[in-house]
Amino acid sequence: MTDIAITGSGIICAIGNDKEQVRNSLLSEKTGIEELRYLPSCHRELPVGEVKLSDTELKQALAISPEEEYSRTALLGAYALRQTLADAGLSPESLKGKRVTLISGTTVGGTEASEHYSCGNNTKNIARIVGLDCQMTSISTACSSAMNAIILGARMLLAGETDIVLAGGTEALSVFHLNGFNSLMILDHQVCRPFDATRQGLNLGEGAAYLVLERTDDAQIREAGIQAYITGWGNRCDAYHQTATSENGEGAFLAMAEALNMADLQPGDIDYINAHGTGTIDNDRSESTALNRVFVESLPPVSSTKSLTGHTTSASGSIEAVICLIAMKGHFIPGNYGWKNQTPECISPSPITADTTLHHILCNSFGFGGNDSSLVISDLAPHRKSAVNSQQTIVTCGETVITQEDELKALSTYLSPMESRRMCQLMKAAFLTSLRTLETAGINKPDAVIVATQYGMLGNGKKILDTLNEQGEEGISPTLFMQSTHNTLAGALAIHLGCHGYNITYSQGEDSLLWAVRDAERLIHEGKARTVLVGLHDEMPLYSKSMIIRKI
Amino acid sequence: MEELILELKKEIIKVLNLEDMTPEDIDSQAPLFGAGGLGLDSIDVLELIVLLEKHYGIRLANAAEGKKIFTNMENIARYVSENRKR
Repeated sequence: MTDIAITGSGIICAIGNDKEQVRNSLLSEKTGIEELRYLPSCHRELPVGEVKLSDTELKQALAISPEEEYSRTALLGAYALRQTLADAGLSPESLKGKRVTLISGTTVGGTEASEHYSCGNNTKNIARIVGLDCQMTSISTACSSAMNAIILGARMLLAGETDIVLAGGTEALSVFHLNGFNSLMILDHQVCRPFDATRQGLNLGEGAAYLVLERTDDAQIREAGIQAYITGWGNRCDAYHQTATSENGEGAFLAMAEALNMADLQPGDIDYINAHGTGTIDNDRSESTALNRVFVESLPPVSSTKSLTGHTTSASGSIEAVICLIAMKGHFIPGNYGWKNQTPECISPSPITADTTLHHILCNSFGFGGNDSSLVISDLAPHRKSAVNSQQTIVTCGETVITQEDELKALSTYLSPMESRRMCQLMKAAFLTSLRTLETAGINKPDAVIVATQYGMLGNGKKILDTLNEQGEEGISPTLFMQSTHNTLAGALAIHLGCHGYNITYSQGEDSLLWAVRDAERLIHEGKARTVLVGLHDEMPLYSKSMIIRKI
Repeated sequence: MEELILELKKEIIKVLNLEDMTPEDIDSQAPLFGAGGLGLDSIDVLELIVLLEKHYGIRLANAAEGKKIFTNMENIARYVSENRKR
């Protein structure tokens, strides 16, 4: 048996510092979205979902001296991870000598001050605070990062690569992304109203949440308390726009359909859907279309909990997965707080509903670059056999490397000036090596795109920070912001290639490429891809390498 | 007005990275968005909104409002001259 059991969970967000507090806020529909209190920003007009603890209080709770320098993102992550381990009856000591993997999703934690806090460093810091000594990696696919971390953990367990996975994500509010989202004009000045006719945008939130995952038979041997099972997942790319969503919600549709198919469930089997439901005009319309395409006549109760927590960006996937666990255990459907006005372009969400048995829950998490993921959480194990076949022959071909700026002129063979006008040097390099590699290999469209990057879009991030330092909180370039997330390259490549397949970005220091290559091989062994475009892209100094990993 | 149109064209070329273009290449009455025009998109709308705020102190409420104003260069110039704060 190779089912994946959830044996621990922990959470901190605007509506509570642990599962019990979050449960109470969900049941009393008490929103955590208020005028900002802790973040040093002038944007009083933008309500946010802050964790109700200062950095000093977080450090106290974690027994860290005030002088030690950690980002708020790392502090929140450590706070939730420590809770998660205790919940599973585990400790750093009890994990010594075991094959443990920590997988954390974050984005701004590695952008805001890139030189100090790369995504990989952020995860290392979390492990250091908690006292964990284990293998680790960081996934950075913007707002779907944490869900993709959970998916990777489940896949690694299925493939037998590790025995205990700690997976989730963390993100603190920052002046960087508050101003960035503001430049995209998608922040509501009131508490957000997902799926409502009058919705004006999202409210940013912050927090962290992690799960402990184990193969079910291992969990049973350990006599661990099994909270639920992960029975299906899907990650697909909308391949439409860097930040907007497609009209027909193709990426979301494909991700949900794949997750249901993997869990061997019919649409009618799902008892509740925790939607991505950010409250933006685009997302809620597009997600509604995708939901109606998947569920047609049998749409179960749907709600977004983001009007309570705010949109916790990179952490939202794990925060909402833990909310689903709380709902399953407490036999209730969380409400879609703030919703009043029906609109034909959106689904009508469910109010809070008590005394409901939830056997199967679908949880959605979507990010910039059209990175769409879905997870099925079930209270019953499906008893399936693993479909991983590690006996296949895999080859690497068509490798291309660029390190010099003057080589980038050749990009005009592939892209028109209008297509390349917004590209920074790094993106030009990534496109040139990718397109040349695909051409050499005779492939028009790979089945999946996997990118490794140590620092991501360092130059664009720095330009935004310079603007904030020099001009204060106004005039952030929306183009720069939407091209500041680590998964910008993988998203842009998928859009150009029309590739709706698996799309992931690793940022774990010098190990990033190793994780990317391993994932490409894992994907092929799972039978989910035959050709994978893999790249390592970094700037300062410029280094861009692309290759095709394929099955023969 | 002609002076303002020229100033706006230069700014737009810079902000939207239309590197190969000169102000003369942009017809003041030609559509900026969609086929048959300059071919700008929704990201450009957001950049133009930032430009109006930075240079002329004009604050627009949402992207839809921007799209109504940014039909062609003449229209933008007219809106700026009527609403500029600086």
